[in-house]
Amino acid sequence: MKPTSSSQERDRIPRPPAPRDAEQTGREEGPRRPRLERPDTDDILQRMRRVDPDQARRYRQRTGQ
Amino acid sequence: MERLFGLETEYGLQVDGDAEADMVAESLAVVRAWNPDDSDPSWDYASEDPRLDLRGFRVDRPHADAEIQQETRHLRPEQVEANQHGDRILCNGARLYNDHTHPEYSTPECARLFDLVASDRAGERIMLECARRRTQARSSGRLRLFKNNTDFKGHSYGCHENHLIGRQIGFDQVVAGLVPFLVTRQIYTGAGKVGLEGESGPPGACYQLTQRADFFRTLVGIDTMDRRALVNTRDEPHADPRRYRRLHIITGDANMSQFATALKVGTLALVLELLQAGAMPDIRLLDPVTAFRAVSRDPGREWPVPLEGGGHSCALDVQQCLLHAVSAYSAGRDAETDWILHHWQAVLEELGRDPQQLVGRVDWVTKEWLLQRFIAAEGLDWNDPQHLGWLQSQDLQYHSIDPAEGLYRGLEAQGVAWCLVAEDRCRRAVAAPPGDTRAYFRGRCLERFGAAVRRLTWDRIELELDAGLVSIDLSNCLATSTVAAYNRAVDQADSAENLISVLHNLEPPAAGDRTGLAPPQEHDT
Repeated sequence: MKPTSSSQERDRIPRPPAPRDAEQTGREEGPRRPRLERPDTDDILQRMRRVDPDQARRYRQRTGQ
Repeated sequence: MERLFGLETEYGLQVDGDAEADMVAESLAVVRAWNPDDSDPSWDYASEDPRLDLRGFRVDRPHADAEIQQETRHLRPEQVEANQHGDRILCNGARLYNDHTHPEYSTPECARLFDLVASDRAGERIMLECARRRTQARSSGRLRLFKNNTDFKGHSYGCHENHLIGRQIGFDQVVAGLVPFLVTRQIYTGAGKVGLEGESGPPGACYQLTQRADFFRTLVGIDTMDRRALVNTRDEPHADPRRYRRLHIITGDANMSQFATALKVGTLALVLELLQAGAMPDIRLLDPVTAFRAVSRDPGREWPVPLEGGGHSCALDVQQCLLHAVSAYSAGRDAETDWILHHWQAVLEELGRDPQQLVGRVDWVTKEWLLQRFIAAEGLDWNDPQHLGWLQSQDLQYHSIDPAEGLYRGLEAQGVAWCLVAEDRCRRAVAAPPGDTRAYFRGRCLERFGAAVRRLTWDRIELELDAGLVSIDLSNCLATSTVAAYNRAVDQADSAENLISVLHNLEPPAAGDRTGLAPPQEHDT
């Protein structure tokens, strides 16, 4: 799962010299991280168990754009 | 130049409990369900030419003709007529219609990112209501809609981004500058997909970043259904063609995440500004089409991209490089720009450190996180074909727009997924257009003087008055001052005739503008 950084032989495109200070950016306009540090997954797992296992097999579409 | 962008989303549809349902008829019926009255003004197709190519010529090739014919080949004769009258042009400035047998919602033109997110979400609300009405009207079965891009069997449908840019920049420059960005942005814009479509992929690649990467075959081209290209060349600016291009980006996934939608459109807007300033870094990928698919399918998440000349980089480093260049050019311009830059940087850092921190923001990460939990809870195996089918069903359910059953919607309700705009704002966007673009003029014109509107398109409204037909040309109604004057006029006029009179008396538009009244165009129909 770890992307890229271990490949020593790679011809790297230069990264930014230093990260910009996040506090200097327009954070007040952005979203807030949800308060749930460890979300309870029981509800969503219940929802997943109700999904018809065959619904993707039956799902047929015509090509769009 | 002011930013102006929009999204057009084709929805997938399924009727539970009716295996014989005619999906062409259902798509038409879903659109008409919003307003069953066919007396709505017509969409003005006469001003559109899908063969005009941004490279400066008119396409005349057999497969282009076939694609154009494909638009109607699934329709029975009575459906052709219904399709021609099937467009619903909404008072919120949006367009709802049947496109290639998929109900499609095109947002109004937006100048602000969060307005676009609200408009996109308003589209989901409208589609959900259409599905509910269609289900009620049917004798049996329940119609469901999915905001995704594949049926897992080789059929894809799009979520296209539109950005207005200046005409002065050469199209070759657009392609060269845009391609490295489009190929690599999927690491935060991808919606995730269980399985591969098309030719076989690398061993172990059961889950990939994007829904769309399997369907692109060439670098540049006008086709959108068969030989899809990374850079689409259809030349329909929906604005003054001497001054503007509309970049029609077809590589992106339909995002459930508001955050991903905002970052997808926002980063592209900033990259286009850099491109127009001539300050793009010189990054040349060896084989962009192959890289687009390979990055999506890479099970190791290293995302390598071979460069021209023999070297290698990776998607994350290409994005870091572009972020650096954009930051140097755009940082501090306004709050929206800084919001985009801040979150672009944060997302790239998390992708390099711990992608799971992006659950609730990046769709492919969120979907994979859900699937892993489900696999662990149910004892499933990625390599078991039966289990893979069940996981594809979960993938599909992730994209259900029904808050009562959709998986992403469930995460939103739990507070796991980030919401950028309040539901109240989305609800308002169902009825009201954004106030600072020509979409407001179009929407309010329909709302107030709809009986006089005979037909319209994005940049032209034709009114039928006692004195005859009058066409309002909005092809240069783009600058802030012009938009404000037009939008004031449509609010203050007390009749369609008065509106025309007020527009006649407006200050002359800026040099080069030709916004204003024009004789109606000749139509074949």
